[in-house]
Amino acid sequence: MPEIEFRIDPTTGKLELHVKGIAGPACDDVAKIARELLGEPGHEQKTSEYFARPHVQPQIRPRGQR
Amino acid sequence: MSKYLQFPDLVFRNRELLLAALADLGYGQVEEGENLALYGYEGDQRAETAALVVRRQHVGRLSNDIGFARTPAGYVPLISEYDQRALHGGQLLVRLRTAYSERVVEEVRKRVHGTARRTVEGSLIKIKVRF
Repeated sequence: MPEIEFRIDPTTGKLELHVKGIAGPACDDVAKIARELLGEPGHEQKTSEYFARPHVQPQIRPRGQR
Repeated sequence: MSKYLQFPDLVFRNRELLLAALADLGYGQVEEGENLALYGYEGDQRAETAALVVRRQHVGRLSNDIGFARTPAGYVPLISEYDQRALHGGQLLVRLRTAYSERVVEEVRKRVHGTARRTVEGSLIKIKVRF
């Protein structure tokens, strides 16, 4: 299940977020919301999950079959 | 007279979330407009203007107005030196930033239609949003 982990440091008020369980650029949708509300991040790092290809099961149908 | 300080590195992008964060700190009455004048605790008008203002009557007896100037990047605090030292034990901006961060988390949770689980680990607040 996709998850966003937020960390707030009450001694500074700073917010960090880590998006987990979303393969590929779908992760960017969450980042887009975060940018809209927080501005450009001071630091952004894409994890290996980001570069993982979403798993798509190929469907091949024989010709003539619908 | 306490001069106003601007904090250009501390920008609040979203107006609604900033208003909500201010309300969380007890500043629920905020005047909105363009180039609103800021006044000191003796009623003296200051050179600075703002788009959002918490009037001193809602802050404290010796306080000055608290303002937020609108910039292309978002809202930037304009707070007097005195209030920065005196309010919330000198932690006004940290408290406001924390409240804003909490509001951001809640807004993201709503937008992704998720559920949140909050824990405190040491001095860190951790909120996991699943969706």
